[in-house]
Amino acid sequence: MWRLALRNALAHRARLALTLIAVILGVTFVTGSLVLTDTSQRLLDDQFRTASAGVDLVVRDAAAFDSAMGVEVERDPLPSVAVDRIGAVPGVAAARPVVRGSGLLRTDGKAIVPSGPSLLMSWEPAPIGAFTLRAGRPPAADDEVVIDAATAGGHHIDVGDTITIQAESTARLRVVGLAGFGGSPGLPDSTVGLVDLPTAQRLLGLGDGVTEVAVIAADGLDPQRLQDRVATALGTGYAVTTGRDIAASSAEAAKTQVGYLQLMLLALAAAALLVGAFLIANTFSIVITQRTRELAVLRAAGATGGQVLRSVLGEALLVGIAASIAGVGLGVAAAAGLRGLTGAFGITLPDGSLIVEPRTVIVALAIGIGVTVTSAIGPARRAASVAPVEAMRRSSAPAAGGRGRTVIGSLATVLGVAGLAAVIAVRPSAGMIAPVGAAALSVIVGLVLLGPAVAPALARFIGRPLDLAGVPGRLARESAARSPRRTSATALSLAVGLALISFMTVLATSVKASIAQSYKEVISADYVIESARNEMLGGLSHHVHHHVSELPEVAVASRLRYGHWKDGQATRALTAVDPVTLPRVASPHMVAGSLDALSGGGVILAESVARQRHLSVGDSLPMTFSRTGTQRLPIVGLVLDRDAHALSTDYLISLETFSKNYREHVDASVFVKIAPGVGAAVAKKAINGVLADHPTAQLRDQAAAVAGRTLMIDQVLGMVTALLTLTILIALMGITNTLALSIIERTREIGLLRAVGMTARQLRWMIRGEAVFITVLAIILGVGMGIAFAAGTVAALGSTIDAPLVLPVGRLLAVVAVAVVAGLLAGLLPARRAAKLDVLTAVAAT
Amino acid sequence: MSIGVTLHRASPTESVIAAQARDVVKIYGRGDTAVRALNGATLSIPAGRFTAVMGPSGSGKSTLMHALAGLDTIDGGQVLLGDTDLSGLGERQRTLLRRERVGFVFQSFNLVPTLTAAENIALPLTLAGRRPDQEWIDELVAILGLADRLRHRPTELSGGQQQRVAVARALAARPEIVFADEPTGNLDSRAGEALLGFLRRAARELGQTIVMVTHDPNAAAYADRLVFLADGRIVDELTAPAVPAILSRMASLDTSAPASALDEEK
Repeated sequence: MWRLALRNALAHRARLALTLIAVILGVTFVTGSLVLTDTSQRLLDDQFRTASAGVDLVVRDAAAFDSAMGVEVERDPLPSVAVDRIGAVPGVAAARPVVRGSGLLRTDGKAIVPSGPSLLMSWEPAPIGAFTLRAGRPPAADDEVVIDAATAGGHHIDVGDTITIQAESTARLRVVGLAGFGGSPGLPDSTVGLVDLPTAQRLLGLGDGVTEVAVIAADGLDPQRLQDRVATALGTGYAVTTGRDIAASSAEAAKTQVGYLQLMLLALAAAALLVGAFLIANTFSIVITQRTRELAVLRAAGATGGQVLRSVLGEALLVGIAASIAGVGLGVAAAAGLRGLTGAFGITLPDGSLIVEPRTVIVALAIGIGVTVTSAIGPARRAASVAPVEAMRRSSAPAAGGRGRTVIGSLATVLGVAGLAAVIAVRPSAGMIAPVGAAALSVIVGLVLLGPAVAPALARFIGRPLDLAGVPGRLARESAARSPRRTSATALSLAVGLALISFMTVLATSVKASIAQSYKEVISADYVIESARNEMLGGLSHHVHHHVSELPEVAVASRLRYGHWKDGQATRALTAVDPVTLPRVASPHMVAGSLDALSGGGVILAESVARQRHLSVGDSLPMTFSRTGTQRLPIVGLVLDRDAHALSTDYLISLETFSKNYREHVDASVFVKIAPGVGAAVAKKAINGVLADHPTAQLRDQAAAVAGRTLMIDQVLGMVTALLTLTILIALMGITNTLALSIIERTREIGLLRAVGMTARQLRWMIRGEAVFITVLAIILGVGMGIAFAAGTVAALGSTIDAPLVLPVGRLLAVVAVAVVAGLLAGLLPARRAAKLDVLTAVAAT
Repeated sequence: MSIGVTLHRASPTESVIAAQARDVVKIYGRGDTAVRALNGATLSIPAGRFTAVMGPSGSGKSTLMHALAGLDTIDGGQVLLGDTDLSGLGERQRTLLRRERVGFVFQSFNLVPTLTAAENIALPLTLAGRRPDQEWIDELVAILGLADRLRHRPTELSGGQQQRVAVARALAARPEIVFADEPTGNLDSRAGEALLGFLRRAARELGQTIVMVTHDPNAAAYADRLVFLADGRIVDELTAPAVPAILSRMASLDTSAPASALDEEK
């Protein structure tokens, strides 16, 4: 039977070609995602390992946690005496102070703004310092700097040139050397400035404090034993970590973002594979229907049902293996393209040679082969159940779904729809995403099962307008209605892709609308200043606020800061505000308590959060800060959810409380109200004058501020849509494939139609009509599901985002138009092929 | 239109030519493997008559019918349908000609499975965007005994009913000529006889020109005229043929003919 499987696979290679491509695309996607994220993670690992390669121990100020949401926390500097105390511990060969911070480089008056960090560090020779000189010499005086060779090369800076470094204070420095990092000329997406220790302390405003102390153990001493010794000697308040752990935890923090991306990419790959699975199942069932007589002859000749089953599965296995191997190969190549794509949508990943883990290959092969074989199980079982007598019959009518299948399908669909409707009707206060997901899944599974039973009626109902196109139109519709299993599988695979796209689009639009609406209703500032860089905590220098509030054109400037804190195991964000000036630029509506009360060191909660946690004014909330550990903050007020969201988080504290608990001192936003009587143009000009020194700071009006806040959504939506296009592409190949195969099946019918006078043109329209018709069916189902799922999600998010359901009609119509055109294209090849059929051979075909 | 009707219902005694083949050559394959399926076939089909074409397997009878019907091109000679020279027509023109002027009944698979009997009958007209002549179709349906079957789909009809629907479809557009290719090949003898009887009636009473290809002497006996084909040319003909006469002619043509007649022809 194996030889038969191989023969069949080869004999039907044209029929299986598109199946092969579908599997290849899916596997390519999986492989590409894994290779890309592995590579990024490995590069980050390498980078941090290199950074602390020569260091045995690192001593830093103690912190309750090292990083949150992929951002490493900032710690208080250590006093310089600590260096001597550490150096005195027996077994310490060397203890060197290290200063690290951020400082923007400028050359020729223009700032160099990388997409990553602008590092400013004290120079330390190897083995402690990770940078090695590639030209010139180390910085030795307070006006000297070494920069990374990559930045120097990119901006035509040479040894001997003068550049400016802008940190807490600003200085003009002479470039005396160029450094590389490990084997590369710099750090990815970053600039690096290396100065001597006193200069670093001065520029970063640390006094004689140091960021950390790097320790080298005496020869032969285990770093871990030294770690205990140093920790005991220093007492509490210090964190003593091995270099290896530091590298690991820093890499871990940096990799969090990559992890999110990986999850998203793999989810999209799963969608592509799901659609591919439909195509595979469809192809196999059509091929098997066409081979019914052949199978029956086999059975009559003595093949057992099991042998037939194994031969079909063997064929699927061959397809799966061939496609998966090709997919893995292409996936490695696609990883680079994927990196370009994520980069285009604002997600920068480190660049470096690609890493293909054995796990990637195994996973991709297993998924590719698994999906193919699993999809073929249904058709294979049907093949095995072909009775020998069917060899004698002329044709067998294609079966609709069994009754059990239909009943289960109806149940699942009804349950899912009811669940969605319940969520939408109730608008629960707490997040109910999981039930919506379950309901959506239930609807999809239900429709898959129900499809064959309802497809004919649905096809005849929806296809009514095709009557206008005359007989070809009617025949197109009837042919779709006649093969319910095939039509429903083909339409559903496209529908799933379209549902995902419309779901994402509607959800994103609704969330954006909600952000815009709450922002407009709550924020009354004329302008807001924010960093153009998409940084987690905002990244706006605190100097901006200082300078802007001093302008006579400005009535008030009020700033926001963001901070992370730990809520048990969970990481949350809070917003720090100035309770005195905030009411002049924003009008948060308090449900209880007052904004003023924040000055006393308390916290204000979003109403829904308080309700969920059964907290009210007068209770206290334990919050763990990296710098100060767990603090119980009294709850002094509750604010409307929407208004809290206009300020970005569910928890508000005062800037004063923030500075007690955080070392971070970058602002997220500065809201500006211009002085009465000052024209907008004048005020703008004055503010922009101040901002000239802060190249990343941007003055935004309300619309631009909203756009800045929704930028991330647009980026993610853009990337997801681009990747989902692949899913649509696979689904369209499914249409092409289904039609091509059904034409083979309908050869005699086509011959008859041609004989009695259907022109080639009419025939082409008939086939194209069928393609477009399946597409329209998919659009109705897919876009409908997408909108319904989005409505459910928006309702489930309920008060969390308080979003009205906004239907982006224009975008949805664009999706529909693209899908219809694509459907027409999908029908082109089969139509041409059908029209080319020779009338005589078609009539004579058996 | 009315002129056409008059023409088709012209009395059988008028000898108008509905179609003719003049020295037609059709070659399949190339070089050494080339086969001359038609090798100088010359034949006139009188209008309003029921003509049968017989011949041993491989004699070219199906090829001749395909050439006359504009289903296939020829490599030499001339095919005329009425006054139209088919050899000069392109694919699209031949398609339109078939739709307007020719009717077909095949051995099997005559009906589009997704259309009802009534829709199948009207198919050539609806494809052409013409309104069916309801009176004429009603008459055909009544004669063929299909009145209570019109709303059924082909799978719900017996083989005989399916072939009668096919005949109705072939006649629905009042074509100049109807070609039937082994129309009774898949029917039992009773259903076959009924169908043949109707074809004869269509010629005699309705003046319909009919050409039938068959290997069955009993079927051929229903025709007004029978032509014999062998090796790609017309070799003999009988007027008002009877079964014994047919059998003896066939035996003289090819002694092995009755045995091989069971084969389906290419």
